[in-house]
Amino acid sequence: MSAAPTATGGDGPVPPPRSSVPADSPTIDGTATAPVVDRPAAVAGVAWPAGVPVAEPAEPVVVEVEPGRVRWDPAERRARASQSFWTAVVGVPAIFSVLRLGVEAGGELQTTLLLVANVGPVNLLAGFLTTAARLLSTGMVAVFALGAVLAVSADRLPPGTRRRPLFARWADITPAWVVLASFLLALITWPLLYLPLLLPAFVAAFQLRPERLHERVVPRLLLIGVLLAGYGWLMLPTLREAMRQGDEWLVLALLVVPPLLALFIAGPLPGLVIRPLASVTEVAVLATLAWAAVPVISTPVLPLTVTTVGPESGPTEDVRGHVVTTDDVNMVILQEQGGVRYVPVDLVRAQVLCPSEEELPRHQLRIHDFHVEDSLLEGMGRRVRPVHRIDAACRTPA
Amino acid sequence: MNSGSSQPRLRAFTSTLAVALTLVLAAAAGCDSRKEPELPSVQEKMRETHIYGQSKLRIGVATNEPLMGELRNGKPVGFDVEIARYIATSLGYAGDQRVEFVPVATEERIPALQGGTVDLVVSSFSITEERKKVVSFAGPYFVTTQEVMVPTRLRGKISTIEDLRNPDYKICTSGGSTSEAELGSHQVKAFVVKTVGDCVAGIRTGRYDAVSSDETILAGFLARHPKEFELVDMPFGTSELLGVGVPIGDPALRDLVAFFLQKSYQQGRDEQVSPWQTAYNRTLGPWLKADKRQPQPLEVPKLVDFDDKAPAK
Repeated sequence: MSAAPTATGGDGPVPPPRSSVPADSPTIDGTATAPVVDRPAAVAGVAWPAGVPVAEPAEPVVVEVEPGRVRWDPAERRARASQSFWTAVVGVPAIFSVLRLGVEAGGELQTTLLLVANVGPVNLLAGFLTTAARLLSTGMVAVFALGAVLAVSADRLPPGTRRRPLFARWADITPAWVVLASFLLALITWPLLYLPLLLPAFVAAFQLRPERLHERVVPRLLLIGVLLAGYGWLMLPTLREAMRQGDEWLVLALLVVPPLLALFIAGPLPGLVIRPLASVTEVAVLATLAWAAVPVISTPVLPLTVTTVGPESGPTEDVRGHVVTTDDVNMVILQEQGGVRYVPVDLVRAQVLCPSEEELPRHQLRIHDFHVEDSLLEGMGRRVRPVHRIDAACRTPA
Repeated sequence: MNSGSSQPRLRAFTSTLAVALTLVLAAAAGCDSRKEPELPSVQEKMRETHIYGQSKLRIGVATNEPLMGELRNGKPVGFDVEIARYIATSLGYAGDQRVEFVPVATEERIPALQGGTVDLVVSSFSITEERKKVVSFAGPYFVTTQEVMVPTRLRGKISTIEDLRNPDYKICTSGGSTSEAELGSHQVKAFVVKTVGDCVAGIRTGRYDAVSSDETILAGFLARHPKEFELVDMPFGTSELLGVGVPIGDPALRDLVAFFLQKSYQQGRDEQVSPWQTAYNRTLGPWLKADKRQPQPLEVPKLVDFDDKAPAK
């Protein structure tokens, strides 16, 4: 920040440090070195020309503040919002991660302490973000999309009668790059099947009406037609397969309907709808986040492994669980069914990484060889490492 | 004027509808993402089988059928044994410590499954309607035909069914086998002995002139005595489908075995090296006249497995 050379920096003589306190400002003990002039604080310290009257307000400049209620000006409000935002960004994952450790330990205090002692904060945070990125982006996308629609509609409310809906206010104070970033996060972490829903959400959040495509009707319709045709061409094989499978109506709806909805979603909504929609969606988004947070909390922090344990020549045993730590003497395994096993390192014969049953797919559909339940990130990952072998040991019971 | 005021109203209405529909779809998507898979998973099937939790898998194999199942240095080897190993590994029993190969003779295969002394039988077990009443089959994993093997001294002399009917030639086959019935239906009188090995030994001592059996079994003996015998290209009777025998009371295990055979079949079809192809190339491949591919298993259940999301190409 400072351009002054530091003590360790330059070779030349170090100049004396500049005083951070102006010479004429009050000293620490409260006595003033400069003559005290009765004039507004804003002009203090400035040489005032003699004979020029000082404009003073009729009343002292004290903002009337209701007790318990603070009125913030927009800039201050924005600063506060940004502060809360970053507090949430750092705090929520931290709290969630600690909660997850407790759940992972099976609610046992000693096991939790063992995990706390061995799982590094960075690993914990990274582990949390891998599992929670989807939930996080979903929440943000929902808030920003609804907020933007409500904000544009809120102008229809009688002016000054009521506060603007919460999401609308949130959308107002959020910088565009945060909104864009949350959409990008959603784009790469949402399952492909749900990605079409991102289209109306994006259109709503940025209020992209069809008129923005072209000012004349015919080229606009043509453009929309071309865009929809392109989308249809991309989805056609999957839609055919979904039709063939028969019972995949939800998949069909999720793939076909959202792009059409995107044409109309940008609002504004009628005044009658705004209030109920605002309250219902606020509750719904909150409830959904709480509901979806449960699996995030209960997702394991450590990878699932099966360790084959036994003497060199003799019967072996498979221990299914999460390896907490390994030292020279023991491998500490948090067993899947609960409890901690200290396995002597000499007895470890083999170890394999296993998938968990939550990763089983629910649909048998692909979009151009990308599984519909994979996100773009996961799908790309599978292209980098296409062969996935399930080790035999993973099939054995816990 | 009128249309001017109705347009914003229409727009407000469509917007409301679009927002509502999007919310409904999002809610449906949310519910869908928390749903259990509709199809049963491999793990679920595993829990239903009688082998779940067993420390070892007992598989009945032949020990006297060269190339298919025989003992070499006390260890079972052969095509059937390789297939058995693949199935065992897929079921979670990898390594010789986890698999117990139980020798079963041809006539012991059904009683062994019924009596629970083995969990599976992989031993040139052909799938027939009659057997399906007492045991379940997964497969087929091999299609075989009846063939005839003659000693080199009779090369060219026995080449048709008509030649087999010639009373000058003594034809031998094993008892209780499909060959016996097939020969009978072609009016070929055959000497019935206990095993194909006995027939081969009989031909070598001059007691018999030809032996009829599965081409796989014959190929095994040909591999053992390559200079003394020759396979006659005379397939007769219907082709036989070899399957993996499973206790009839354990449909889950049957489904799993069929599922894993299908997995190997698909791997082979996608031009990859499949476990089946590896087993075949290492055992039967060099000795059979025509090159074979894995047949498509029948009645394969749709199961969900962890690798379902892997790219197909």
